[in-house]
Amino acid sequence: MALDQLSVTLAAIADPTRRAILERLAEGEATVGELAKPFEMSLPAISKHLKVLEQAGLIERGRDAQWRPCRIAAGPLKEVADWVGRYRRHWEESFDRLDEYLRELQNRESQNRQLKTKEKKHGRTKK
Amino acid sequence: MAELKSSSTNTADREIVITRVFDAPRELVWKAWTEPEHLMRWWGPKDFTSPACKIDLRVGGKYLFCMRSPEGQEFWSAGVYREIVEPERLVYSDSLADEKGNPVPASHYGMPGDWPEKMLVTVTFEELVGKTRMTLRHVGLPPEMSEMAEAGWNGSLDKLAESLEKEKSK
Repeated sequence: MALDQLSVTLAAIADPTRRAILERLAEGEATVGELAKPFEMSLPAISKHLKVLEQAGLIERGRDAQWRPCRIAAGPLKEVADWVGRYRRHWEESFDRLDEYLRELQNRESQNRQLKTKEKKHGRTKK
Repeated sequence: MAELKSSSTNTADREIVITRVFDAPRELVWKAWTEPEHLMRWWGPKDFTSPACKIDLRVGGKYLFCMRSPEGQEFWSAGVYREIVEPERLVYSDSLADEKGNPVPASHYGMPGDWPEKMLVTVTFEELVGKTRMTLRHVGLPPEMSEMAEAGWNGSLDKLAESLEKEKSK
């Protein structure tokens, strides 16, 4: 089964090291050496992570074989953010509406109660 | 953001949890979840409407919810009630569906990704003084998503994507 782009992206960012790399790259391009610095990891290990990110289309790398700075690429991340956002929004916004509706219901109820009390009082005075 | 009255946490077990306190008695919140005329008043995000809703409120009974986007696109979801403990606890299965209640893949609605065919929604209602604490658990999300959520990364991901979009449009 062919993996769709979203699944590839999700798999790529499921790893904490790769997420940290992306966050670093969000600040600007960097070389493999610079990216490796904050981690207790060998350059080949970092390169492996970069390869996964590159294959997922999350980063782009310069052409120069010696000096290949990495840049973050926005497209796939945007897709994930849209997807997560849509899902969360459904519940959060539904509950905003529920909150309002419950208030409305209770206002109506208390108004009805007031009406009924008035009617009762009215009825009693009649008798 | 509605972070003050609402909180969200995620655990490793592929679930998303949202907790909210409503300024209403528990019986009323329960009704809002279980009676179509009430549910249709709030089901769906901002500016959506809910034009149809069927509820057969018994264990094994089915429901069919519908919401319509401002652009007029309808989204149907359907499932079966698994547990009903009035007014404390409601458990039901949840699938994307067509208007007849048949499960459909996410692609039916032009949504990306492999959504699980069936998710499980658990809603609990806790009585506070005149208020109700509602906790929603949505289980069965794709594992990659819950891993991300677990890392608390959704927020920064949104921001990141946003800033990247801005960069792009410069």
